[in-house]
Amino acid sequence: MSTVASANQSFDPIALRQAVLDMAYNGSSVHIACAFSIVEILAVLYRKHLRYPDGRYDHPLRDYLVLSKGHGVMAQYACLIEMGWIEPGAATNYFKDGTRLHGLSEVGIPGLEVTSGSLGHGLSVGAGLAFAAKRRNTRQMCYAIVGDGEANEGPIWEALLFAAQFKLDNLIVIIDKNNYQAMGLTSEVLSTEDLETKLVAFGFDATTIDGHDEGAIDSALSIYQSRKDGRPKGIVAETIKGRGISFMENNNTWHYRRLSANTYGAASTELRRRSR
Amino acid sequence: MRRTLAALLVEAARAHPEVLILTGDHGYALFDELRKTRPEQYVNCGVAEQNMVGVAAGMAKAGFRPIVYGLASFIPIRVLEQIKLDVCYEGLPVIFLGDGAGLVYSTLGASHQCFEDVAALRPLPNISIFSPADRFELVWSFKRARRLNGPSYLRLGKADLGDVHAEPLPDEFDHCVRGVIDASRENVCLASGSMVAISKRVIEREGLDYDLYSVLKLKKLEPQQILDLCQGRKRIIVVEEHSIYGGLGSAVAEIIAGRLQCSFQIGGIQDRFTEHCGTYEYLLSHHQLDEAAILNLLQTH
Repeated sequence: MSTVASANQSFDPIALRQAVLDMAYNGSSVHIACAFSIVEILAVLYRKHLRYPDGRYDHPLRDYLVLSKGHGVMAQYACLIEMGWIEPGAATNYFKDGTRLHGLSEVGIPGLEVTSGSLGHGLSVGAGLAFAAKRRNTRQMCYAIVGDGEANEGPIWEALLFAAQFKLDNLIVIIDKNNYQAMGLTSEVLSTEDLETKLVAFGFDATTIDGHDEGAIDSALSIYQSRKDGRPKGIVAETIKGRGISFMENNNTWHYRRLSANTYGAASTELRRRSR
Repeated sequence: MRRTLAALLVEAARAHPEVLILTGDHGYALFDELRKTRPEQYVNCGVAEQNMVGVAAGMAKAGFRPIVYGLASFIPIRVLEQIKLDVCYEGLPVIFLGDGAGLVYSTLGASHQCFEDVAALRPLPNISIFSPADRFELVWSFKRARRLNGPSYLRLGKADLGDVHAEPLPDEFDHCVRGVIDASRENVCLASGSMVAISKRVIEREGLDYDLYSVLKLKKLEPQQILDLCQGRKRIIVVEEHSIYGGLGSAVAEIIAGRLQCSFQIGGIQDRFTEHCGTYEYLLSHHQLDEAAILNLLQTH
């Protein structure tokens, strides 16, 4: 099995963020900041780690990427456009009547494995996929991206118990710890602090990294892919909600705010400046 | 019926390695033989039903054929959203077994009694719902569900009321409704699950002028078959160990409303919880679903 990413697929975080901005502006959609915190995680996964035999998103022996925190879906759409699995026009047509892409992850879109957004669903489905792959000895990996706010949900903790009990060492849970949820700081709403400690207490092999450091993400993924010790793996990715646009970073109104012509222009200008 | 279910599970697991039987730490003796003969196909997910259904969805996506067992109060009620989003939306072939549906857990109280499962599931697209009345219908329902390429729910209620049919349903039988008393009588009683046996006893003992049909597949009903059965009858009575809202009675009413001129009534659990502890028989009487109440319903309506 090989990765499908080819030389012309760079999954450049700045380009991905621009694609998210384009979608969000054209569709007047929310959840921009939720997408920005996971851009580097997705970029590294798609660029180097996810294996899609024959370049097929539906290949039975593919690796699974489960976006449990469905609110970040625009970042994944940006990657899927680059994969060639959804048409580039999806960005300009986002949310138009009769189109396919919703504001949260839904099965049926090439490359999306779960219907999430109602939170606490995807990780369990990912655990089932990992269970199936282990049962068949296929060497498939399952990556599940979970939000630290999403970890308020009970089924997340049920799924962690299950993963440890059934020794799903092909499951890598990546927690996007951007410290915010819809209405405020996670520490102030329903704290999920000490995630690494919690994961370890649940039987995981876990580590904490800078979730915007592509080298650190790559290295953690590589180590965990090869460590077949019966323990599921957890990566606490410390991220910044709204990362990449100064006026969105750690400004939680961008969980819900929509772009105006002005803010879209200012954000795009900032990305262009960073790309130089 | 329970022994039949245990045998069906073992048979399915033996014949098909992709069958996985999941339980949320329930089932007791039901899985004894399965655990002995096919332990690797028995997956106890612990007391974590929401995760169990998500896990089943993942397994099904990867080509396994999960059968998820639980008590009806938990499967499907506790996990309704998981069934909707993780399973039904993608149309995955997962079989849900909801045991003890209705008033079976009479002494355990509100947490374990379940008379809303059919109403909760009926609006979910893609799912099929079976409600077998005896072991023959159970075999037929289970085999049908196994053949489906989408989700299904088997409502398993009171299991020891005896057979309502004299022999197994033929494999080629392909309808939602099966005749129990089919004598072109003036009135018709449509029942499901436990209520088929109880209605049968009442009609036969009292010699009532009723045909009796068991509705073993509640979703989807075949509208034309229901209309054909009901056409020209004076009274149509539906009896179910389920809320009067949203179950078989509602499903039949949706079909016949505006199409037939006849008297129609649903015998089921009214809009209330059970008040007292007691035997199953006591609760049937409390909810006016025992033989005396059914007789009254059929006679005085």
